[in-house]
Amino acid sequence: MDRGKTGLGLMCGGAAIGVAALMALTGSLSMEAPARAEAPPRALPAPPPGGVMGFVVQDFVPPVIQGMDACPKGTSPKVRDIYLASLPADERARLERKENEPELTKRWQATVFGADGTNICSQPDKFDRPLLATVQSADAGGLDLDGDAPGESCSHEEFTAPDGRTGIDNQEYRVMGCTLEWRGKDGIGGDLLTGMRQFHASGEWTQVILLRGVDSLENDDDVEVIYANTPDRPQLDSHGNFLPGYSFTISDKPPRHRNALHGHIVGGVLVTDAQDIKLAQTWGQGGARDIRGARTAYDFRHAKLRLAFQPDGSLRGLVGGYRPVFDVIQSPAIGGAGAALAAGIDCAGTLATLRKYADGIRDPKTGACSGVSSAMNLYAVPAFINDVPAPSARIAPAGTAHAGNKTL
Amino acid sequence: MSPFRTVPLGIAAVTLVATLWLAGTASTSAPVHAEANGSPALLTDPQVVGMRRLTEAQYRNSIADIFGSDIRVAGRFEPIVRPAHQLIASGARSSAITPSGLEQFDAMAREIARQVFDEEHRAQFTACVPADPAGADASCAGRTLAPLGRLLFRRPLSEQELALYVRIAGEGAGPTRSFAKGLELALGAMLVSPLFLYVVETAQPDPVRPGVMRLDDNSRAARLSFMLWNSAPNAALLDAAAAGRLTDQPQLAATVRRMVASPRFEQGLRAFFSDMLLFEKFDELAKDPVIYPYFNQDVLQALPEQMLRTITTQLLDGDGDYRELFTTRKTWMNRALGALYRVPVSQSQGWVPYEFTAESDRSGLLGLAGFLAMYSHSGRSSPTLRGRAIRELLLCQPVPNPPGNVNFTAVQDTGNKAMPTARIRLDAHTTDPVCAGCHKITDPIGLPLERFDGIGGFRTFENEAAIDVSGEMDDTRFTGGDGLGKAIAASKDATLCVTSRALEYATGRPSEDGELIERLEGGFAAQGYRLRQLIETIASLPQTYEVPTESIKAGTTLVATRR
Repeated sequence: MDRGKTGLGLMCGGAAIGVAALMALTGSLSMEAPARAEAPPRALPAPPPGGVMGFVVQDFVPPVIQGMDACPKGTSPKVRDIYLASLPADERARLERKENEPELTKRWQATVFGADGTNICSQPDKFDRPLLATVQSADAGGLDLDGDAPGESCSHEEFTAPDGRTGIDNQEYRVMGCTLEWRGKDGIGGDLLTGMRQFHASGEWTQVILLRGVDSLENDDDVEVIYANTPDRPQLDSHGNFLPGYSFTISDKPPRHRNALHGHIVGGVLVTDAQDIKLAQTWGQGGARDIRGARTAYDFRHAKLRLAFQPDGSLRGLVGGYRPVFDVIQSPAIGGAGAALAAGIDCAGTLATLRKYADGIRDPKTGACSGVSSAMNLYAVPAFINDVPAPSARIAPAGTAHAGNKTL
Repeated sequence: MSPFRTVPLGIAAVTLVATLWLAGTASTSAPVHAEANGSPALLTDPQVVGMRRLTEAQYRNSIADIFGSDIRVAGRFEPIVRPAHQLIASGARSSAITPSGLEQFDAMAREIARQVFDEEHRAQFTACVPADPAGADASCAGRTLAPLGRLLFRRPLSEQELALYVRIAGEGAGPTRSFAKGLELALGAMLVSPLFLYVVETAQPDPVRPGVMRLDDNSRAARLSFMLWNSAPNAALLDAAAAGRLTDQPQLAATVRRMVASPRFEQGLRAFFSDMLLFEKFDELAKDPVIYPYFNQDVLQALPEQMLRTITTQLLDGDGDYRELFTTRKTWMNRALGALYRVPVSQSQGWVPYEFTAESDRSGLLGLAGFLAMYSHSGRSSPTLRGRAIRELLLCQPVPNPPGNVNFTAVQDTGNKAMPTARIRLDAHTTDPVCAGCHKITDPIGLPLERFDGIGGFRTFENEAAIDVSGEMDDTRFTGGDGLGKAIAASKDATLCVTSRALEYATGRPSEDGELIERLEGGFAAQGYRLRQLIETIASLPQTYEVPTESIKAGTTLVATRR
């Protein structure tokens, strides 16, 4: 973008409308595998008049690489299996007999609870649980988060991305990548893709991306990127894919989660400068006092977007950043004992493992890290994005936001 | 069966038979077969010359205007059958009500009456305090029911009629020990009466022209109100009728002028175009969701509304030229339609004004998805259906139905790469000379719209072949939707057509008087094709209230055309 340009497209009632290059999108409507970070762009469309492009995010899922390399022993054991593994072989064999199932259930479920009504998901700090099995392969999707700020990271091993990029930081994947919830039972991981897409189709998590000042989809050193939530619900086709071409308005209600980023395009790939990003995360439908509608947030620190323009007009790539370790178990922690009893999730063990592998959000005094590097695969289809400027009163007072966070 | 169940239906049946008997040949149907075992003479004078059944919208509007918009009307309305190439307004003149349809009206009447006389509303409508709230009070019932009856029947109740409904109220109050329940029963009987469900038109001799009959004042009030506001006449209009002002030409003209200047005229204009453009077909519109994923319930509901907003904006807000309805790029947009048109919509809810770009090739009504989707098949566009609709709806030129043994294989084979476009497929189809005759009338004006698919989405290719949008109408050649819009705007047939439709809408019968239509069209032209002026002229015209001496032959197509 030329610095002198406004970068605004069509003005309508004080709002900028992002006009996407709406191409023939038949191909993009098919189900996409989430694992591939991005395809090399070919025959990219011309930049739109006014340089404004809009997108709605359809897929926002962990970049799980399927196959036996990552988890040669299979998925991480559940609470029941952890309990059984802690027993002598004879006792384990006895309890595994069908007639002893009630006794086994009673005993393993007892391990979920502690004194004073605590449980391993609501109060994971109160329990000392075995660590999770971690990803063993050297491959992972993600971004090099510490390349430009290594002093803020803690010691860790790095991955190589499927497209050959090295120095990939994704300790969240290292810890969570062998869990059943991430990897899936059948080695496909489709449940997670479907589930997350449903969340994003609900209008509660729905994310949009607005680009301004795009002079070329191949190379442009100055692009304004708005990555935000919208209350508007996407429309779906009969396969559950988001239909391109709908209009969305960026949320104007607090917490607004409108992240204003700066990016540049190189070789058809848009990369933003590191900056904190916050996005809405609502667990289920319900009121604020109902755990089914608990409002939380995706809190990516020192985060970046890496998005490749696709010939069909869509965007495919990643968002990556450091997440506070507790955020990773936010959902089962809200679920409490039920998450452990029904889904067998060992929140305490997971939290302990995340802490062990924490590589970010480093305390400058102690040198300890309290966050894990993280990444989500992202696929977005063209849309019209209506950016409602925030009232100045909504700008957070100086010193209350994280360093570099431009979220309004 | 309780008296609450039997009384209103019995009254309805008796009154309906009596009314039809008195209407004589004016109505061709005998809707309810019931013995007139009571006194049939509820209408004795003046002479009944016609009956027009209320449309659903007219029924709903009447209830809302008389009792308030918070009174809910819930039920199924039996549709009025549209005669071929005519308006529903004409069909209403010969529309029957089946026994099951009458049961629906009865259920609606009971529910409306219950709401009107419930504790929340009864004070608004009860004209007095009954001597005994737990019993009958003929005087108070009469004072309450007389004004309601006047609004519902669109004329003052006769003494006989009022006595009947007061008696019903009294008989209802006794067993229920409730004066209000008695009124509820009487109102239910009124609402299911044919005198409410049908606009009963009565006539008197024209004092100026001996031997000619003309509508009387009360019938004129109803005709004006339903024509211009699509609702029942209000008290002021009924007062004007009672004072004889609607049979006095200058006073009639002044009344019409006030009514077309009212904001309520928009409701009347919407009803006219909904009838003229066959909007009842939207109720049956369906598309293949795999082929057209952008077509959903939100879009379906928005399609007629976008057309009506475009019409009223052009014809009322700017008092614009009717011909520009076929060339204007100004319309309205909501979120659901925005995706179909691939345009941004700033507001999450509601409608925003929008102007198509010159490159869009969308001109006026024919460029809107409502028209384009309506005249397409569920999985493909149809130049033939679109061309026929333009001929019949906008130019009043009926096109014959295809013969029963046509082979449609060529036009239906949309995936055939050897015949990638509709134009090529139609060329193959019309090699049969039997088909070619009609397709020459329709296809050259439908093919210019082929840049729009079966739901009105824009495209430039079909099966990877470029779409040829050249067209022809009455020896005028053009390209695309823009060219078609201009050709229709320049056609006198289009303005003659809307003139004849407006006259038919006013009178409830197609006009045979070509000379009158030509004269009206001439005035329409002289006034810059302002439809508000045309309708004002028609509503003020003495001929609009003349009673034809011969009944219209059923099934005859009577529309003005230069052919």
